[in-house]
Amino acid sequence: MMIDEKKLWSRRKRGYWEMAIKYLKLIGNSGFLFTIYLLFVFGSYYYGQFLEWLPQTFPTTLFFTVIFTWLITRGRVRTFAKPGDLFFLTPCEGKLKNYFRSALRYSWMMETMWIALVMLVLSPLFFDRIHPSGSLVFSIIFLLSGLKLWNLAAGFEEQRLQEKNRYILHTFIRLGLTGVSVFALFSLQSVWFILGLALALILFYAGYFYRLSKLHSLKWERLVEIEDSTVMTFYRVANSFTDVPALKSKVRPRHLLSPLYRFVSYKKEHVYRYLFSRAFVRSSDYFGIYMRLTLLAILFLSVVQIDWGRWLLVVLFSYMTALQIETLKHHYATSKMVDLYPVSEGYKLKSHQFWILVLGSIQSLVFSVGLLIMYSPMDGLFGLGLTLIVYVYHSFIRLPKRYMV
Amino acid sequence: MGQLLTVNKLTGGYQRSRPVLHDISFSVNSHEIVGLIGLNGAGKSTTIKHILGLMEPHGGEVRLSGKTWAEGKDDYRRGLAYIPEMPLLYEEMTLWEHLELTAMAYGLEETVFKGRADELLKEFRMGKMVKWFPSHFSKGMRQKVMIMCALLIHPSLYVADEPFVGLDPIGIKSFLDRMVEMKRNGCGILMSTHILATAEKYCDRFVLLHNGQVLLQGTLKELQAQANMHGADLDEIYVEMTKEDQ
Repeated sequence: MMIDEKKLWSRRKRGYWEMAIKYLKLIGNSGFLFTIYLLFVFGSYYYGQFLEWLPQTFPTTLFFTVIFTWLITRGRVRTFAKPGDLFFLTPCEGKLKNYFRSALRYSWMMETMWIALVMLVLSPLFFDRIHPSGSLVFSIIFLLSGLKLWNLAAGFEEQRLQEKNRYILHTFIRLGLTGVSVFALFSLQSVWFILGLALALILFYAGYFYRLSKLHSLKWERLVEIEDSTVMTFYRVANSFTDVPALKSKVRPRHLLSPLYRFVSYKKEHVYRYLFSRAFVRSSDYFGIYMRLTLLAILFLSVVQIDWGRWLLVVLFSYMTALQIETLKHHYATSKMVDLYPVSEGYKLKSHQFWILVLGSIQSLVFSVGLLIMYSPMDGLFGLGLTLIVYVYHSFIRLPKRYMV
Repeated sequence: MGQLLTVNKLTGGYQRSRPVLHDISFSVNSHEIVGLIGLNGAGKSTTIKHILGLMEPHGGEVRLSGKTWAEGKDDYRRGLAYIPEMPLLYEEMTLWEHLELTAMAYGLEETVFKGRADELLKEFRMGKMVKWFPSHFSKGMRQKVMIMCALLIHPSLYVADEPFVGLDPIGIKSFLDRMVEMKRNGCGILMSTHILATAEKYCDRFVLLHNGQVLLQGTLKELQAQANMHGADLDEIYVEMTKEDQ
């Protein structure tokens, strides 16, 4: 039986995206989109100010060259290769041309998207310092995308090299050539110069890299390694918003936080307090998210100069934190042992409320001390009050409703 | 010898339209170890889930010390300890915390808990590991944690589902010795297992489940008589009885 390479490709791509979309949805629901939105609003407000502040001597061309040289040289063709391929696909390696062509096309598309995104974000800087023409930005995106294609194609052939140091040497050669080309683009060289450069690159590929594909076999282990590291990067990013079972984030003892356990004395009513305290401190990322949201809030508070903007931030961030602590409710949902304990469910809600209030009080103190230092005692008092109101609302009004469902 | 656990005409399963258990009746008395025996898929685990109150019967009832689960679930649950087939541990808790939490949940006095815990840790040779997290435990150690938690609370009924899986020989012996001791103290023990030689040695009576029905039950002598296989051991009866409907 022959392997249908087209089907194999589309099945693997679909498999990956089904998994990825599930995580993207979770990330979207985690308040992340909202943070991005906030960042966008404040970012666009401060962008103009930042550009004015940026000294005229700032090496803009060099800055763009470094950023895009890195963006274009990094990253390789994603093949969705799996460890099993070492066994099952190696026999028909020669027949997989179309599979790898699809892989190249796919990676090119994705990478072009990233390049365009970064270019658009940086475009105000480009207009301000390099050239005020919009169509020029689009031509540059187009040419950068072409350069990316060259890099991906050459990079794919170079993975065939067995020796690690030759492989790395080739990557450095690509880095140099890409750097020169990107610099030529951002220093606005003449069209003829750019065309000549493009021709030279194409000839170099045809005369050298293409020959590598004739001389050397595919290095499957390396393909799997490349695929693995790509997926892992995605998992790690996703893991900061939600639980990724594949990462099965290790339990961290976090001994420094053990004073929190003193809130749990030996008592039958405290069974859920006990469970929640350990879950919050040690497992997955409840504590990490709590810290991140608190620090992020302080960061935002330090830049926003409008009074009501700060009140809004305090309320939003404390509410987002409360929503994260709310998910503790499900932490033991699949544990059969908890179901067997002769302990009334009512204690569960009470313990959950207890922790939300304790953690909320700690956060309100952090907020108010921060505001007090950065602004005024009045601000500190307002921050304290607002945060406490949010947590009292959440634990006494919202949470009981969650438990009714 | 009071009847501790009575399963009376129990019919149950996940779907009402497709019951897994049909009209099951048996009992476990105090001072008694009863072996629950059957092939994979015979309905042992479902029976156990009904006894634990994790599933509700479609018909019939399960009574522990005369009360059903619905009549008072906290009292019902306090009366039994469960040793699951797959150790169910909290990854974010140390061995000591597992014991402490269990003791808290079952309302043990703190001093009583500490005394019993120290004794158990010594007996199961886990004293050095009190601060360890489950990720550092082997399968057998995980099983020992479950067993220690169950032994800690001194219930009137123990329900053990394949308790020997992954245990080392010393662990098995400690467990069985403890079970015998508990039986002498007046507990009842329901133990599901595939290790028939051990079951034959330790169980007073057997319930042989097959396709969700009780095929045979009684002491070994009674089973031999019912199966018409005098002098046969449990293995032989088991194989013979389950062979029939092939």
